[in-house]
Amino acid sequence: MAIATPTIAPGPDKTAGPARKKTGQASRSWLAALPLLLFLALAFGIPAIAVLIGAFTVEDPVNNTSRLGLENMTDSLQGAYRTALWASVKLSAFVAVVGGVLGTFLAQAVVASKGTFLREAVLTASGVLANFGGVPLAFAWIATLGNAGLLTTMFGLGDTGFSLYTFWGLAIVYLYFSIPLMVVVMTPALDGLRPQWREAALNNGASGWQYWRHVGVPVLTPALIGGMVLLFGGSFAAYATAAAMVGATVPLVTLQIADALSGNVLVGHENLALALSLDMVIVAGIVMAIYLPLRNRSSRWLQ
Amino acid sequence: MAAMTTEIRRPGLGRAGVLAIAAVYFLVPLAASFWFTIHNDATGFSFSTYGDILTADGFTQSLFMSLGLGVTTIVVVLALMLPAMLAVRLGAPRLGQVLEVVCTLPLVVPPITFVAGISTVLRWAPDQLASTPFWATLIAIQKPSFPIVLVLAYVVLATPFAYRSLDAGLRAIDVKTLVEASRNLGAGWVTVMFRTILPNLRTSIASAAFLTMALVLGEYTVAVLLGFRPFAVWIVTISGANAQLSVAVSLLSLILTWALLLVVSGVGRKRT
Amino acid sequence: MFASRTRVAAFTTTAALACALLAACGSAPQSSTSSAGGADAKTATSVADFGGLDKLVEAAKKEGTLHTIALPPDWANYAEIIKTFQDKYGIKIENENPDGSSSDEINAVKTRKGQDRAPDVLDLGQSFAASGAQESLYAPYKVATWDSIPAEQKDPDGKWVNDYGGYVSIGCDAAKVKVCPQTFADLLKPEYKGQVALNGNPTKSGSAYAGVYAAALANGGSFDDITPGIEFFGKLKASGNFNPVESTPATVEKGETPISIDWDYLNVGYADEFKGKGVDWKVAVPADGIFAQYYSQAINKDAPHPAAARLWQEFLFSTDGQNLWLKGYARPAALTAMTAAGTVDAAAAAKLPKVEGTPKFPSEAQAAKAKEALANGWAAAMAG
Repeated sequence: MAIATPTIAPGPDKTAGPARKKTGQASRSWLAALPLLLFLALAFGIPAIAVLIGAFTVEDPVNNTSRLGLENMTDSLQGAYRTALWASVKLSAFVAVVGGVLGTFLAQAVVASKGTFLREAVLTASGVLANFGGVPLAFAWIATLGNAGLLTTMFGLGDTGFSLYTFWGLAIVYLYFSIPLMVVVMTPALDGLRPQWREAALNNGASGWQYWRHVGVPVLTPALIGGMVLLFGGSFAAYATAAAMVGATVPLVTLQIADALSGNVLVGHENLALALSLDMVIVAGIVMAIYLPLRNRSSRWLQ
Repeated sequence: MAAMTTEIRRPGLGRAGVLAIAAVYFLVPLAASFWFTIHNDATGFSFSTYGDILTADGFTQSLFMSLGLGVTTIVVVLALMLPAMLAVRLGAPRLGQVLEVVCTLPLVVPPITFVAGISTVLRWAPDQLASTPFWATLIAIQKPSFPIVLVLAYVVLATPFAYRSLDAGLRAIDVKTLVEASRNLGAGWVTVMFRTILPNLRTSIASAAFLTMALVLGEYTVAVLLGFRPFAVWIVTISGANAQLSVAVSLLSLILTWALLLVVSGVGRKRT
Repeated sequence: MFASRTRVAAFTTTAALACALLAACGSAPQSSTSSAGGADAKTATSVADFGGLDKLVEAAKKEGTLHTIALPPDWANYAEIIKTFQDKYGIKIENENPDGSSSDEINAVKTRKGQDRAPDVLDLGQSFAASGAQESLYAPYKVATWDSIPAEQKDPDGKWVNDYGGYVSIGCDAAKVKVCPQTFADLLKPEYKGQVALNGNPTKSGSAYAGVYAAALANGGSFDDITPGIEFFGKLKASGNFNPVESTPATVEKGETPISIDWDYLNVGYADEFKGKGVDWKVAVPADGIFAQYYSQAINKDAPHPAAARLWQEFLFSTDGQNLWLKGYARPAALTAMTAAGTVDAAAAAKLPKVEGTPKFPSEAQAAKAKEALANGWAAAMAG
């Protein structure tokens, strides 16, 4: 998608003082972003504050009172909850990295193909599969690789000790909605790699591998790690698939949250679930704190 | 020229290999599900399950509600995000950082927690806001035939994905030059947006729209816990304990969503 | 051309939204005599307050609708119960979220207070009924047949009352499993490798929680001590017999979970449903671990249709209603009284899995302790 940018002589605007233009620009930018920020503050911020208040509310069932306190937060970082949080982080990190890499390869394969129908079909299918999850996804994989699954019985996989219901089995299933997401996110970035750059590299004697290493990947890096963060977040917050497939054999923090907020057994643990959610947000904050400087460094030479 | 043709042929084999492996990985589980819905050891082959779905009560109503919610969500998401992200690219890097964090945050809040938060807020209506004008607003956004509260929730859920797609697209084009060029030619901001930027962002806007529509059509948790019946909730309701029906219905919704998106992308393509 | 069209569309959408939102501004109407049944219906505590069953039926018919929540049609014959009620009184039942949990029901009540969408009646787990009563979410109401329900199965003020229940049972597909397990001890046998499943996690699913409790009773535990049950399932997992998949009709039919621990009324119901599908489903209540649990019925204090809600209650606890549950293989709360009075449906009662003795239940304190133990120890037992 090469766009020919017209070359024009600088117009009268350019004679304005650069300092004045920059402050005018900055305040106008914030104005342009105001509807979005306001909307998110209302639709996301207010429920988030409600969750925050709940996380720090400690209820006393005996006296039927409630007060602010840290008990929920400290409980949420101990014992079974800490194991679950750590396992969730491990799973999401693995899926983010592996899914990110595989997704990029797939996206490149699609972008490089000549047929537009294949491209549209794969892109739309990726959009659909990126949101395919929960019980139907779990069932599809149980039907394929479960103890009585199609492939398991066909190839006798049960005898080799393979089981879908482990950490790695769950990771394979999580890749099913992560890879398409990466494809959808990376395709615009891959489209932005101008064929002229490739031609220029080839003309200068670079091999395909060198082109990718010195031109392609560095240009893609911001979008790449951004996509991986997206994959991390998506896997981190996923719940229904694991609930239907592995139960508690792979401890995940989202399972514990759902147990307390939407279950048939635990009563009165809602605030603990909100504290666990707050833990998840803190983990995400840590991930963002690592990601943002990385992204800035990788895109600095592109500005 | 000769050098180029030989270079391009080598990736061809690798490309076919990648596509083949991907096809196997993605299609085999779906095939296994499909096989379950049409074959049973006792009754043999039968496509009757699919016939039952299309004639079931509430199919069109819930589908249209979901489509309406989806289209509204897409419009709102794009209308909110494009000006903001454009402004960031034009020269407000600090805003960019804030936007990035704020737009990715909804991703890590599991839907069930988000609903818990929304429920708490909605609970304030009868308790605290009964005497203020906001009471009726909070009630109106929960109208069962077209719940705006779901649009609000879905916009929040779609924001991270839309942000990522639009960000990738905006990075790929030289926004500053395009905008300056248009402005120098005398275009107002609206023209700049609609005639210069948007046509160049076609892929990423399409990606964002696909992801959002698929999200809305497949979203179950928020809708069911708030008590509404869009398509995904209807699917679970009618399948009940009928094993083959529940699997068939979810497969059908996958195919339906995909067909819909193909139609939309085809319409978009024709304009070129 | 394209630009102005989009612009017009954008402006119209914004204008429409603005109008809609502006029209949706206004404070709550002053508290009114809400329903057609008059202020009486909201505070009626028995049929007498209405002046007799006919007056109640009249008031309910005037309301015309009933909102129920989380009633799966294939659970204890609810499909027929709903249909019978609709046909008998001409009141339309809108059943939302059939797969919902007790928590979802309570949340729906709390979130939609004062709205027409709120649920009228609730069918909850015991602990949720107790906690909801403590939070004053329910309206006290004593049905006409109040005395036929045992004392330990109802709230003394009428805020909630047990409606039906069952025992933990082991369901097994005889077409795929040669010898079906009859007791918890049997489940550890090596021939059942990878076949034994629960209906979800015991921290979320009522029947799985009961399954672990029953396993505890079978292995030297008691109502005070659920840890032997957790250890039993740990052993089951270590031996490779445990399948962590959440057993559903789909997974049973697929052959993934040929042995499923679930409520007896659900398992026996599945036997009927699976009949033509190549699954020969057999049900056994394990003699070494007998655990029963009943579900509780309650009326939303702010029900949008209070008269219809109370009529539903009367219907469920009438002989007809209780026998319909019996037809769904569940044990209605008034079973003992009905058997003594001879009003029980003998044919349906004969189909129930045989269990000796009367059911005993853990107290709220014992249940809370067991749930804490589960929340802390289940994941460790499963992962280890």
